[in-house]
Amino acid sequence: MPMPGVTRSRAAAVVALMLVAVALGACQAVDSFYPPAAVTRQGVATRDLYDIVFALAAIVFVVVEALIVYTVVRYRRRPTDIELPPQIHGNNLVEVVWTVIPTIIVGILFVLSWQVLNTVDARSAEPQQAYVRATAARFQWTFQYLDKDGKVLFESLAPELTVPAGENVHLTLQSKDVTHSFYVPQFLFKRDVIPGRENWFDFTIDPQDAGQTFRGQCAQLCGTYHASMIFSVKAVTPAEYDAFIAKGTADAQSTPAPSSATSPGASAGGPPASGVSGGPPIVVTAQNIVFTTQSIEAPANAPFTIQFENQDAGIPHNVVIHGGTSITDPPLFDGEIFSGADSRLYPIPALPAGTYLFSCKVHPNMTGTLTVK
Amino acid sequence: MATTALRPAVPVIRTGLYEWLTTTDHKKIGMMYVVNSFIFFFLGGLLALGVRSELAMPGIQFFKEAEYNQLFTMHASLMLFLFVIPMLAGFGNYVVPLQIGAPDMAFPRINALSFWMLPLGGVLMLSGFLTGSGAAANGWTSYSPLAQAKYSGIGTDLWVLAVLLIGTSSILGAINFLVTIFKMRAPGMTMFRLPIVTWTVLVTSVLVLLATPVLASALIMLFIDRNYGGHFFDPAVGGNAVLWQNIFWFYSHPAVYIMILPAMGIISEVLPVFSRKPLFGYKAFVFATAAIGALGFSVWAHHMFTTGAVYLPFFSLMTFLIAVPTGVKMFNWIATMWRGQLTFSTPMIFALGFLAEFLIGGINGAFSASVPVDFALHDTYWIVAHIHYVLFGGSVFGVFAGIYYWFPKMTGRMLNETLGKVHFVLMFVGTNLTFFPMHQLGLAGMPRRIADYSSTAGWTDLNLVATIGAFTIAFSMLPFLWNVFVSLRSGEIAGDDPWEANTLEWATTSPPPPYNFDHLPDIRSERPVFDLRHGLTGGHRLAPPPAPPTTPPSPTPSEPAPNVLVEA
Repeated sequence: MPMPGVTRSRAAAVVALMLVAVALGACQAVDSFYPPAAVTRQGVATRDLYDIVFALAAIVFVVVEALIVYTVVRYRRRPTDIELPPQIHGNNLVEVVWTVIPTIIVGILFVLSWQVLNTVDARSAEPQQAYVRATAARFQWTFQYLDKDGKVLFESLAPELTVPAGENVHLTLQSKDVTHSFYVPQFLFKRDVIPGRENWFDFTIDPQDAGQTFRGQCAQLCGTYHASMIFSVKAVTPAEYDAFIAKGTADAQSTPAPSSATSPGASAGGPPASGVSGGPPIVVTAQNIVFTTQSIEAPANAPFTIQFENQDAGIPHNVVIHGGTSITDPPLFDGEIFSGADSRLYPIPALPAGTYLFSCKVHPNMTGTLTVK
Repeated sequence: MATTALRPAVPVIRTGLYEWLTTTDHKKIGMMYVVNSFIFFFLGGLLALGVRSELAMPGIQFFKEAEYNQLFTMHASLMLFLFVIPMLAGFGNYVVPLQIGAPDMAFPRINALSFWMLPLGGVLMLSGFLTGSGAAANGWTSYSPLAQAKYSGIGTDLWVLAVLLIGTSSILGAINFLVTIFKMRAPGMTMFRLPIVTWTVLVTSVLVLLATPVLASALIMLFIDRNYGGHFFDPAVGGNAVLWQNIFWFYSHPAVYIMILPAMGIISEVLPVFSRKPLFGYKAFVFATAAIGALGFSVWAHHMFTTGAVYLPFFSLMTFLIAVPTGVKMFNWIATMWRGQLTFSTPMIFALGFLAEFLIGGINGAFSASVPVDFALHDTYWIVAHIHYVLFGGSVFGVFAGIYYWFPKMTGRMLNETLGKVHFVLMFVGTNLTFFPMHQLGLAGMPRRIADYSSTAGWTDLNLVATIGAFTIAFSMLPFLWNVFVSLRSGEIAGDDPWEANTLEWATTSPPPPYNFDHLPDIRSERPVFDLRHGLTGGHRLAPPPAPPTTPPSPTPSEPAPNVLVEA
C-alpha cells in the first residue's frame, strides 16, 4: 500500500529519533565493556592495553560469529540437495594460513602485554614519596604509614588509605592469617596479600584526582565475611599529605593508646553510677560483622551511655556516631576500637533531636540508626 | 577376555536392578555415568540458583554469609568433579569401545569400580551439609591457609576425601581408556582412523594420568596439615601458601582441558554428520588436540599472576600460545560446514550453540593471558563469565549435543525434536542472560565469591539480569526431562543409524547387543559407516571414483582398496 509522503517523512523522523535513542543507549552499553577510567599512571597504561585487546577481540568475535551464521544460512540443506556435497578432507594452504595468523596476533598481544607489564609491575624509577604498609586480617584492613627506612610512624585502624596524588606511593602488603587481595577497581590493579610473604607494588595517582576517594575491596576469598573487607583510598594533595603525616605522627607520640573516647570508669560491670547519663546504658551488639542492634533510641539534649558488646572474637569494632544519616557525615563521636569478645561503655554527649547514622570505623558496611527524641 | 569373546551368547541370568548393580558392560556403566552425572548436575544447579537468588539484590535475603560460601563451593565442586568430568567419561565409556570396534573396555571390572566410586564420593562430599560446621566453604580451589583446620570445619575434610576418591576413579578410568584404545582396536582401525571423540578421550586420559596424581598428593598433604600436624601449606608454622596454589593449578588447569576436550570431540562428531561432509583437517585436529594437551601443562600459573610469586612473561606467552590450537579447531569446524548440506536436528543445534558460546569463552580468556589486564580482571566476575562460557557454553552444550545424538543409540528411541528445540532456545537465551552481564560486573569491579554488595556499587541491575537468566536455564531443563521421560516410553523407533552417521557405533543395533558387534564392516577410513553407505571418498585429494553408492562393499575384500593410500 503506498504511503502518503507526509506520513512517510514523519515516520522517518520517528525512526531517526529511535535510532538516536538506540545509539545513545548503545554508547552507555559500550562503556560497560570497559573498565572504569584509571586514576593511576600504571592503570592508564593497563587501560590503553585493554583497549587494544578489546578491539582485537571484538574484531575476531564479529568475524568468526558472522562466518558461523553465514555458513549456517548459506549451506543449509535444500530439497534439491540429493547428491553428496564435495567431500573435502582438508586443504594444507588454508590450514597453514589460519594457524599462522592467530599465532601472529597472539605474538603481538604478548609483546604489547610484556611492555606494559614492565611499566605496571615495576619499582618506580621516581623517588619514593610515600611508604605505606597495608595489613590484611580477617576481616579488616589496617594501614601503617612508614618513613623512608620502614619505621612505623603511626597506624590507622580505619580502613582508609590516604596517599598523595601525583607522587609515587610504595605499598607493601602483609597478611596476618589467610590469603587476601588488595583490589582497587579504579587502579585496574590488584595484588594478593599472602601470609609468610611480603608483596608490594608502586602506584602514582593522577594529580588531578586529589580530593577523590576510591573504593577498594578484598578480592581473594578469605572466609565467611569476605564481602565485608572493604576499604577506601583517599587521594590528597602532597601538602595535605605532609600535614596528615605530621599530625598522625604527633598524635601517635602524644597518646600511647587510641584515646579519642575512653570510657571513664567503664571497666566495672553493672549499671554505671557515674551520673553522667540519665538512664541505664543503651546496649549495642555487634556479631558476625553486623550490628545486631540495628536501631537505638536516646533522649534529646541529655548525655547518655552506650554499652557496646563486641561479640566477634579477635575482630576489632567500635561505634562512630555521624552528624547525619550518611556515612560521609563527620563523626560526632568516635569510640575506642577494641577486639572481641569484650565490651565497653561509651559516654555520649548530649545530642539535639534527630536521626543519626552510627557505624563501625573498621567495617564501613556495618551501620545502624540512632534516633534522638 | 579371550574366552569370554568366544562364548556364543551370554545367558541372561541377571535381571533388573541386580543386573545394573553388578554389570561390567561398558554400555550400562556408561549410561550409569551419564545418569549419575545428571543427578549431580541438577543438585549443583539448585545450589547455583541459591547463589543467584542471594545475589539478585543487595542485602542478605536468603542465605547468611557462611551458608552462601558453602553454596558456591559445593556448586563448583559438584559441577566440576561430579558432573562435567564424569559425564564426559560416561560418553567415553559408552562410545569408545563401540567406535573402535571392541566388545568392551579392557578392564570391565575396574570400569565398574571407577563408576561406583563416583556416587560414593558425591555422597561423602554432600554429607558435609549434615555436619555442625557445614559443608566445605573455601571455594573449589580450597586455598590454604583458609583450608587449614583453624579456619574451616570437618566439611573440608569430607571434601578432601571425596575429591581423592573421585580422582582415583578418574585415574582408573584413564588407564582403562588408554589400554582399550591402544590394544583393542578392530583390524583396520589405525590410529589415524580413530574417530575424533576417541582421540579426545585418549588425550584427556593422558592428561588425567599425568595431572590427577598431583592433585591427589596435594590433597593428602592438606589432609595431613589439617589432621596430623603437617606443615606443608600453613605459613604460620613454616609452610608455604603459594605451594598449594602451584600444585593445585598444576592439576586444575589441565583439568579444564579434561573438561572441554571430549566436548570438542562430540562437536567434531556431530558437525560432519549433519553437514554430510568429513571433518575438515582431521590430522590437524588431532595435532591441535595433542598440542592443547601438551601446552596445558605449561600454563597453570596464569591463575596466579596476582600472587607476585610466578615468572609472569613465560606463563603469559604459553597462555597466549594455547589460544592457537583452539583457534585452529574453530576454523576446522566452520570449514567442515562450509559447502556442506546442513540439517538442523537437535544435536546439530546444540553443536552450533557450542560454537557460538565457546568462541566467547575463548576470546575472553585471551584477556587474562595479558598479565596487566589480568591484574584488573582476576578474581572478579569477569573470570566467572569466562569459566562459564567455557564450561557451560562449551562443555554443557557439547554434553547436550552428545545426549541428543547418542540417545537413539543408547535406548533405541528418538528424542522429540520439538521439545529438543524448545530446550535449546531456552537454554541458549538463559546462558547468555546469566553469564554475559558477568563480564560487565567484573569490569565494574565486583569480586567473586562475595555474599553481598552495596546498593551504591552500581551492580544491582546486572545481577538481577543474571539471576533471571539462571532461572531461565533451570526452566529449560523441564522440556528436556519431559522429553526423556516421554521418549523412553513412546519415542519414535530409532533404527541402527538414524542420523546417517560415520562411525562404527552406528553399524550395530540400537541399543547394541552385549559385546556390541556380530559383524564389523571394513574399516578403510575414519568414516567406516559412511564408506559402507557411499563408498570411499579418499583423503585430502579426491580419490578415484568410488564404488556405486548403493552397493555395500564386498564382504571379503581380498586386497585393500587402492584409494586407501590416498588418504593423507
